[in-house]
Amino acid sequence: MTERPLLSVRNLKKHYPITQGILSRQVGAARAVDGISFDIAEGETLGLVGESGCGKSTAATSIIRLEEPTSGEVIFNGRDSAAVSADATNDVTKFDDAQLKAFRRDAQMIFQDPSSSLDPRMTVGSSVAELLEVHGMSDKQRRRDIVQNLLEDVGLSASDYDRYPHEFSGGQKQRIALARALVLNPDLIVADEPVSALDVSIRAEILSLINDLQEKYGLSMLFISHDMSVVQDVCDRVAVMYLGEIVEIGDTEEIFTNPQHPYTEALLSAVPRPDPRRKRQDIELKGIVPSPTNPPSGCRFHTRCHRVIQPDEWDLEQSEWRSLLNFRDGVVEESLDVETTREMLRTGPADEDVDVADARLRAELREEYDLPETLSDQQAERTLSESLDHLVEGEYGEAQELLAEAFVTPCEQEEPAYADHGGGHRSKCLLTNDQASLQSAPSLKND
Amino acid sequence: MATKNTSERFDTVDWDEIAANAPDGNGTSTRAYLAALGLLAVLFVYDLVVASGEATFAAVGVSYDVPLFHWVLAFSLLSFAFLGLLPLVRNRGHASANFAGIVVATGAMLAVIIYDGIYLANAVPTFSAIGWNYDVTGLDYLFGFSLLVFAFYAALPLYQNPRMTSYYWSEFRKNRPAMVSLVFLAFIFGVGIVGPLFINYPEAEFFRKYQPPVFATVSMNFVLECVGQQANGVCHGTWDYPLGTTNQGRDILTMIIYGMQISAKIAFVTTLIAIGVGTAVGTISAYAGGLVDEVLMRYVDIMQSFPTLILYLLILYIFGADLTLFILLLGFFSWSGTARYVRSNALAKSQEEYIKAVQLSGASLYRIIRRHIIPNTASSIVTDLTLLIPAFLLAEAQLAFLGLGDSEIASWGVLISVGRNDLSFAPWITLAPGIVLFFTILAFAFIGDAALDALDPEAQAEAES
Ligand code: SF4
Repeated sequence: MTERPLLSVRNLKKHYPITQGILSRQVGAARAVDGISFDIAEGETLGLVGESGCGKSTAATSIIRLEEPTSGEVIFNGRDSAAVSADATNDVTKFDDAQLKAFRRDAQMIFQDPSSSLDPRMTVGSSVAELLEVHGMSDKQRRRDIVQNLLEDVGLSASDYDRYPHEFSGGQKQRIALARALVLNPDLIVADEPVSALDVSIRAEILSLINDLQEKYGLSMLFISHDMSVVQDVCDRVAVMYLGEIVEIGDTEEIFTNPQHPYTEALLSAVPRPDPRRKRQDIELKGIVPSPTNPPSGCRFHTRCHRVIQPDEWDLEQSEWRSLLNFRDGVVEESLDVETTREMLRTGPADEDVDVADARLRAELREEYDLPETLSDQQAERTLSESLDHLVEGEYGEAQELLAEAFVTPCEQEEPAYADHGGGHRSKCLLTNDQASLQSAPSLKND
Repeated sequence: MATKNTSERFDTVDWDEIAANAPDGNGTSTRAYLAALGLLAVLFVYDLVVASGEATFAAVGVSYDVPLFHWVLAFSLLSFAFLGLLPLVRNRGHASANFAGIVVATGAMLAVIIYDGIYLANAVPTFSAIGWNYDVTGLDYLFGFSLLVFAFYAALPLYQNPRMTSYYWSEFRKNRPAMVSLVFLAFIFGVGIVGPLFINYPEAEFFRKYQPPVFATVSMNFVLECVGQQANGVCHGTWDYPLGTTNQGRDILTMIIYGMQISAKIAFVTTLIAIGVGTAVGTISAYAGGLVDEVLMRYVDIMQSFPTLILYLLILYIFGADLTLFILLLGFFSWSGTARYVRSNALAKSQEEYIKAVQLSGASLYRIIRRHIIPNTASSIVTDLTLLIPAFLLAEAQLAFLGLGDSEIASWGVLISVGRNDLSFAPWITLAPGIVLFFTILAFAFIGDAALDALDPEAQAEAES
């Protein structure tokens, strides 16, 4: 057999135009998905993880063409897909209406919220059977038989066919949604956070049902989640998404034991570990959360990365460097409001000594950004104090200029390329650019 | 429950075979329908503008002037053929009972219309052949059609989904005033629909004017001939005229029954038009979006601020007061609220995951709207209706009271206005229909309230969990 993956996503982009005015002039775009690529082999489950708003759900709906992707390719090689006949294209993004309808039999989706994923005015049976009807099965009894059998497969009973969604619990509804996704016997199922809306106690049940069915019918799956621990149980491989890009992808085992991207590291640090020997420090991400409308230059993670690279001219503690950059971003982006802080500090009568007040203000600003009283690098300390002076004097422009010039990280200047760590494990960070391991990189100085 | 055939499994279905046997889409017939409609419209405009005053086809040497009735008939037949018959034939075997029912019944009605209008040429009462002296009018046919729609798309679905129906019913039953209201309205509309078929319209009997209702009395000064007992110069009411008579000696009870039919006609026909147009515009607006949405909604704005009364007065001036015109006008000028409602609801619903799931199943837009958006908007349409219908009935009564109504008919409003000059000594003429009207409107309010609670399983489920 040829080793063609079932699904190959190549440089997929989905941008939402931002328009203005009555003529809908486009003034920008939210780059929800900005060039992602991955493969899913037959029978494989790929996890797509990231925090909410990173574009993972948009990626799912674009791949399955619930939304039209802006550009890129989604190559689908179904087992005996009617959508992909010999002479036609196998790029999902270029399917015509007839192909797309046939493709619906190859790929289905499970949604996040079981309470809204079933039509409240239809019996659950007819909700599931509707797919059969849409695809031309006109024999009503046959539809019923198939769906009743399937309901039993997902752990419900055949007599549930005639019941309405409001008569079921969240977990049961998710089983029905699973039946609906299965009823056309697809090759691929996209599961968008299928358990995150469920009670913790029934998550495991649903996940193991998904696993069983997947094995039984040889399904491939794209499993979307924000929860690393769920992904660990279900997925063969994991892709970590940040701000519309995949920053790291690899086998689940690899990713969990040997993460090669600081963002993955941070996500993993939040996973409760059963093994006390491998303690991982909780990494807290500080700094500005960027918007997909205006992604940061260079590495998109540089505004929050705890390992953000320090140029040779400075010799600061890593956490100080991070705080310093946050302070710089706050001043440059004008999210830091000196006057409000000053107002807040003014508790006593207005005739207080001006110098004392200014000193308090400086201390408060440092505090706000977790900056120590004096930085470990003297040169840097001097620049920082100077910029604080400017701020206190109300010379915002000078402070901006000074900080923007002095503190620059290579991470914002150079976009990292994917580095290959073997076995399909790739990551996108300057620290690992020349196949160096993240763990061997200059370690965090505050360890 | 049907016996289960265990061999039928989803993973053994041969989709290629099914795809080969599937009926093809109906794109061509829609196009043919639109083309035929367009042609009809062009001919109609030609008749109105170019060939006004002479026979429609005079230009080609045929001296046949198409009357309005034939235009309407042509339109109805065309719509029936393309929207009813054709899809029914194409999906024979697995068309829904509702659709088959309405197509067959409408076909039968169209046959009667053709028989009535062309064979009998409206010269004799429709059913005179079987010795029944009831002449069916154009408005009756419209009324009949709206009853059919109601039967097949509101009543029948309730019967088909006993589980949902019993759920609604148990919710609805909790509201006692609404139950009473429902019985009352069923009575009003039931008697109104059937009664006039068998009871003759009351004759004017001048000598029997101002008969009081049973148990009431009136001074002999006002009565020419007292049917009941006379004593001490007062006339007592009798069971011959349980609610008394009017200034022309017509029996008020019979008049009210006739009035019920008129109210039923107003309620059903106007509602059908308003709901039909409103739902169509609302869903188109929601799904087309962009400029179409903008234009339609601005039009709705204009219509909502349009002084319908003035338009009605204008029409009254040109054509004279006529119930059919009034109903059509009311229907075609009151869908704006429904359109807004449906639009916002459809927009909200289209964000729901189940709509996305249906989209993902490969269902057509028409199916999504017809099977998912509209049923899920139904509860708000129903509650909207319970506000619309009383407004229609009141509007008719108000116009009639102002003397702007169709005085030929026995609507409640007309009856109320007839009695207003005699209010001092014969208050029953105004009071009897007034009270019936009042309770009818009250009943709608109660039912609307209960329906809002009963029809929303989502809100219920959320409240319980
Ligand atoms: S390139 Fe820099 S900012 Fe980006 S992840 Fe690597 S270390 Fe962090």
